[in-house]
Amino acid sequence: MTKSVAPASEPATTRSRPWRKSRKLDQWIAFWSVPFFFSVFGVVFVPLSWMMPPRSPSSPQAQIVDFMHSHNLLIACAVLILAFGLGPVSNAVYLMQIKRMSVSPVFRYTVMMGAITGTIVGMLFPLFCFGLGAFRPGYAPAILAMLYDFGYLAFIGSLGCFCIMWMAFGLAIILDKNSILPKWLGYYTVWQYVSELIAAPVWIAKSGPFAWNGLMTFWLAMTLFVSWQFIVYVCIFRAIKNQPDDELENAWLEPEPASTDTLPRASA
Amino acid sequence: MTEIAEEFSTGTGNTRNVDARRHVPGEPSMWFFVIGDLIIFGVYFVSYMYYRGQDQDMFLQGHAKLNLNIGAVNTVVLVTSSLFVALGTAAARAGKAPDALRLFGIALACGAAFPLLKLFEYIPEITAGMTPGTNLFFMYYYVMTGMHLCHVLLGLVILCFVIRNLRGPAKPRISFVETGATYWHMVDIVWLVLFALLYLMR
Repeated sequence: MTKSVAPASEPATTRSRPWRKSRKLDQWIAFWSVPFFFSVFGVVFVPLSWMMPPRSPSSPQAQIVDFMHSHNLLIACAVLILAFGLGPVSNAVYLMQIKRMSVSPVFRYTVMMGAITGTIVGMLFPLFCFGLGAFRPGYAPAILAMLYDFGYLAFIGSLGCFCIMWMAFGLAIILDKNSILPKWLGYYTVWQYVSELIAAPVWIAKSGPFAWNGLMTFWLAMTLFVSWQFIVYVCIFRAIKNQPDDELENAWLEPEPASTDTLPRASA
Repeated sequence: MTEIAEEFSTGTGNTRNVDARRHVPGEPSMWFFVIGDLIIFGVYFVSYMYYRGQDQDMFLQGHAKLNLNIGAVNTVVLVTSSLFVALGTAAARAGKAPDALRLFGIALACGAAFPLLKLFEYIPEITAGMTPGTNLFFMYYYVMTGMHLCHVLLGLVILCFVIRNLRGPAKPRISFVETGATYWHMVDIVWLVLFALLYLMR
């Protein structure tokens, strides 16, 4: 009797709430910060500054100087460093889901620290390098060329730092017994991060498919990463949506009057 | 075809048998991984052929410096190991766990020889000055064989887990044995293509 009543009453109460009062409002804000964050990234990286797709490592010095002095590059770096603050918010959606899995907390902390170390080198270093070149017009061309190398090598050559983070994420999904995220997503994550390891040759090759703007190191890794990222967010969207309200960590914050709280207790 | 039809006609008693024949061996999520991995290696093979076509002389010169003997021995080692994995899986399916254990042990020993031989191949090449920075051929050589070597090492770990599963006091899980075997056969197939592309093609 109670079994049939409890699940029926729960979706009814969640549906009747206005979205502003949803108990998952915090998670939804974190979730929707992601598309916003990535669209700002896309607009600034490609049409505003042409930082991406990466320029050639063997381009002539005059071209490098032109690029490093462009005014749009300075604006782009300033915007990105500001928008980068959304990164921690968007990473919260992964951590919330890993916390629900039946795995050791080590995985959660590894993902957290991996995101921090990865983005400092992979995001902030390049932005500072590119912004620095545009900041003062008087730098010698050789210095600008070095900043240019530093920027791109940090951006693409540091993908390895993210590897441990995604490895922990993938393993957590595979080992999890609560089926928070689908198992195949764990395996997908594994081959996504293995393809990030291939970023290592950018430190050696200056042209061809293994340079930092090469077919294998940039285009293949990016294609895999972007499609994977998209699918991960679809899966996380469903995971947030399917989580019962009474399992939420902040369920105790808002004592609910009447039906939903009393019913499960009565059945138990 | 007729066998399946017969089994259907004999009724409910044999439905499990029909299921066993129809189902995908191993866990479906492992197949997702295998197919994805083969696609990535496929992209590597196609791009290798493209760049080889651009500068065939350089690729042929690099090819001549590779150690064909160790490559051939490694191929034999991996194929033998795969054969024992297949025999072991068949034994496990037939319920002969001790036989399966022995066969998987031989497969593991053969598989473990692969990285050792690879070491004997890499070290003289690197000391002779053939590094990934030498030219595009060696870059492809080290990246592709290195990626494959990572897969072999992971495969050895998986084989150890399969052996633990077979040895354990509980009844072995056949689906896990099949999952491990699927992965190991993939490693084998990738090596066969790599061997042909890097060592044999002229």
